[in-house]
Amino acid sequence: MHDDIEKLKEENTRLQKIIVVKSDLISITAHQLRTSLSAVKWILKMFADKDFGDINDEQKEYINKALTSSERMIAVVSNLLALNHADEPVVILEPEEVDIKMLIEDTVVEFYGETHKKNIVIEFQEPTCDIPAIQCDKDMIRVVLESIIENAIKYSNPKDKILITLKTNTENNTIIICIHDNGIGIKEEDKKHIFSKFFRAENAKKEGVTGSGLGLFITQNILQQHGGSISFESTENNGTTFFVTLPIS
Amino acid sequence: MKKILIIEDDLFLQGLEASKLTKSGYEIITAKDGTEAMEKIQEPGIDLVLLDLILPDFNGFEIMKKIRETESVKNIPILVFSNLSEEKDVEQAKALGSVDFMVKSNFTLDELVMHIETALKK
Repeated sequence: MHDDIEKLKEENTRLQKIIVVKSDLISITAHQLRTSLSAVKWILKMFADKDFGDINDEQKEYINKALTSSERMIAVVSNLLALNHADEPVVILEPEEVDIKMLIEDTVVEFYGETHKKNIVIEFQEPTCDIPAIQCDKDMIRVVLESIIENAIKYSNPKDKILITLKTNTENNTIIICIHDNGIGIKEEDKKHIFSKFFRAENAKKEGVTGSGLGLFITQNILQQHGGSISFESTENNGTTFFVTLPIS
Repeated sequence: MKKILIIEDDLFLQGLEASKLTKSGYEIITAKDGTEAMEKIQEPGIDLVLLDLILPDFNGFEIMKKIRETESVKNIPILVFSNLSEEKDVEQAKALGSVDFMVKSNFTLDELVMHIETALKK
């Protein structure tokens, strides 16, 4: 019994050290990302302000889109740092009225290159009812969708289909987004850890796919900050369905 | 014309900052690390230091301490311009007498110019 306790203490110490190392790595990486993003943001702003000469309306439109995109990435990096360091993870939200159907459609388009490479199809089923606009931080919910869709692609096999549905639950006044894949699934013993910081399931690592173990941790925190939630159903080798719930009001 | 010393190891960012500030009417000198910074700080007439915190030899906090300990330059205002953003970094910079702390990726170069103007009026 005493030996078992000592072994547990040693293992706990080892795991704590790993968490510190990973946390430091994230801080360093985030700093490097911010350095590059600073340069991108400044140069785009200089183009937009015509510091390098006149630009036409079309050029201005694309430059402003690129500027918005770079600012979105800067916000994501800042939130990643906040989650990495805080004892009680907090994401800074900027809510606005969002057409969630359109957000899902836009996010799916982003993955065209990856799905084409892997010969995977993402199908977003047309909702059967009107979906009201919801108050949320559009960039953060996009991060949530990207994280789950990216995992679905990573752990799917070629020629698999990923199915996304969107509906309302009038009983508790929420919208529910379901993202279903037919991939490797999650083992029973891993399910309780799936939202833990830095956790990667053994079968995921065996696939040889890289990952930080932070995606679902961040996703869950973003949704909780919105008053929403995330849950899943999964069977090993038989796919996974994630359920993302967000309040309508 | 006011004179600014930019201490920044990323030469691309350094170039962008120098270009913007020159166009805004400032005389600019630059240093890419702490050793060069402590040489250049001795140049006469420096009105403000724009200081990055992550540098290859000394970190920005060590440079701030050295500047504060050097009689001839200890009163030059220092504006910290870094991509570090934790509260402990801001507090440490404040304790070492920085006049402002800006996180690079949160600001445009126009906003940097505005903050410098404010710092120079103090």
